[in-house]
Amino acid sequence: MADAMTRDGTSLKSARFSVSKGLITIGSATVLLFVVSGVLAPSSISPTSLSGMLPIACVLAVVGLGQMLVVQQGGIDLSVPGMMSLTVVIITHNPDGDNSKLVPAILLAVMFAIIAGIANGLMIGGLRLNPIIATLGTNALLYGADLAISGGRPRITTTLLQSVTGGQTLGIPNAVFFAVGALIIVTVVVKKTVAGRRFEAIGASPEAARAVGLRVRLHQTSAYVWAQLLYCLAGVLIGGITAQPSAFEGDVFLLPSVAVVVLGGTSLLGGRGFPLATLIAAVFLQQLTQFVITLGVSTAIQTLVQAAALAVGVSLYTVNWAAIFARFRVRSRPVVSSA
Amino acid sequence: MKPRTKITSIVVAATAVVMALAGCSTAGGTAGANGAGGAVTHVAGAPSWCGTKKISFALLDGFGGNSWRLVTTASGKAEAEKCPSVTKFSYADGQGSTAKASSDIKGLVSTGVSAMVVFPDAGQAVLPALTAAYKAGVVTVPYRVFPGGKAGVNYDKWIGDDFANDGNNWAAWIKKNVPTGGNILFLGGPAGNSQSTAEYDALKSNLGSDYKFIGETPFQPTNWDPTLTQTLLTADIAKYSKIDVIVSDFGPTLVSSLPLFQKSGRSIPALATSDGNSLSCFWEDNHAANPDFKLMTVATGNDNVRLAVDYAIAKASGGKIPTADSFKGPIFEDSVSQAPHGVQCDKSLPGDVYLSAQIPGTTQSALGK
Repeated sequence: MADAMTRDGTSLKSARFSVSKGLITIGSATVLLFVVSGVLAPSSISPTSLSGMLPIACVLAVVGLGQMLVVQQGGIDLSVPGMMSLTVVIITHNPDGDNSKLVPAILLAVMFAIIAGIANGLMIGGLRLNPIIATLGTNALLYGADLAISGGRPRITTTLLQSVTGGQTLGIPNAVFFAVGALIIVTVVVKKTVAGRRFEAIGASPEAARAVGLRVRLHQTSAYVWAQLLYCLAGVLIGGITAQPSAFEGDVFLLPSVAVVVLGGTSLLGGRGFPLATLIAAVFLQQLTQFVITLGVSTAIQTLVQAAALAVGVSLYTVNWAAIFARFRVRSRPVVSSA
Repeated sequence: MKPRTKITSIVVAATAVVMALAGCSTAGGTAGANGAGGAVTHVAGAPSWCGTKKISFALLDGFGGNSWRLVTTASGKAEAEKCPSVTKFSYADGQGSTAKASSDIKGLVSTGVSAMVVFPDAGQAVLPALTAAYKAGVVTVPYRVFPGGKAGVNYDKWIGDDFANDGNNWAAWIKKNVPTGGNILFLGGPAGNSQSTAEYDALKSNLGSDYKFIGETPFQPTNWDPTLTQTLLTADIAKYSKIDVIVSDFGPTLVSSLPLFQKSGRSIPALATSDGNSLSCFWEDNHAANPDFKLMTVATGNDNVRLAVDYAIAKASGGKIPTADSFKGPIFEDSVSQAPHGVQCDKSLPGDVYLSAQIPGTTQSALGK
């Protein structure tokens, strides 16, 4: 069972393919959500609605893929908001509307991402610090850099970035191509390369991996570096999608980034990762938001619906329903007989 | 159940709590000294609100992370600099965290500031900290957002923006330019905030039954956040085939969302909102292709802070206390009547300057560099 309580998940296997339980669950939930959306609020699946929903879902998917790599190593990364916001600030503040300065600014953001990733990795993989504390500290440092560079003020996105990450090609938002590209790279590297297979093995059992001589610390450190690079990409995307971003653009993505990883079926204790399911979970979560907004219910109800969906989704993986029902049945019998 | 389950549950719960707290992560408040002349013993040539007693002065934000706040902060600082009795100027940014905003207030009280002007974003939640500052003898002036409580009990005075005035101005313009009635979509700030609520009440009482408010009422809560604005407006465009007027109390956040109208083959509707250079330039580039796109803006209110600063400094330094108790934002642009101004786009300046503010656009564009 692929869930948040075990280190690894089994999968339904056929001769060629293996389909994880997470993919089946989140995939069918997403299909169901779109059907329900189509019946109850048809406009929430209209082309207009999708063209607004997909780019933000894609940003969430890219962040989720980064978080997934960290979670695969049994860690958690709370520096998502810091890196995303810093990227937004660098790529809008430094070019200040000048397209020719955009590429150097992105390279600078990538440099920050690598430094932050190495810092996280060394603290957690090397010094064995608690990932929650270490990444929280890194987040504060990144926000320090954010405010030092911008004074809390990102600029307007350059027209080039707006057209590249905020634009459309053949009617499909460009952010979709970036998210699919990130998905393919992550999937191929993790599932089809030697290093990637070692990476997953270490996540599943660091002790066993060390016993067979794998370089555990190196792989654990690398998870944080790759994750930061993905957050950086997400920052570039959101910078182009929202033409006038704020200096705290990443804040709203932290909790959903963990949510999509769990909904995708990746165990919080580490082990196998499910990139495709994570991406679908991001679409699910964003479409759910779009759906409840279109229903026109109040903000309070919107929040409750999203929370409930999340609770149901997580409980599918984490709660052993069969055992609970069994226990309930055993207990209820003596009560009945004594009465 | 598996043996790890219990420990894991605790870890998961702890993670959730920490993640919630991480939203409130801090990166250090800033407090910069700004000497404005030390040896001056009188205030000849300074405004009447500037008394002779030497004071240190603090400006506090609940959330300082956008250009509007940066211009507002610079306006507050420029106003304080007019008074040589202010020997030290400090600034702190709550970064959207109520806890940090409260501790900023308490921290500055303990450093001995004589007067503080506070943007109480969190409303009533920061009232205890304001009250503590007031009771400690600091001249405490919250502005713009109403924090609850009473003047003379919880703080010295609240200097509001007369948001109903903005609502009245928008309503009058809507009646003139969409005279036959229609569907109005109002996008406001965080749910329940006093500014958007006051604006809605004014709009509603001015516009008769011919005008229908669509979407969530009193307003759709965007948190003034461009990502959320885009999500909401996307849903609205898909859901409502007829939107005649959009009203928004932070116009520039709409710029990235408005092109969705054209993508779905519709004209951008009339827009009554607050000003911003990016919005004005967006209008200039797009109004020809969108026949219904009329634009009217009220001054976005960066200068609200000036009145609050005047009041706080006057009371602390012994100057003449201003009589006005709220800021009335004037109409700034009207693409139809061209009065008092036509749409003011300056492409040589960045998009996030506010040409309605007293601080010139060129000075604003140099801020935060």
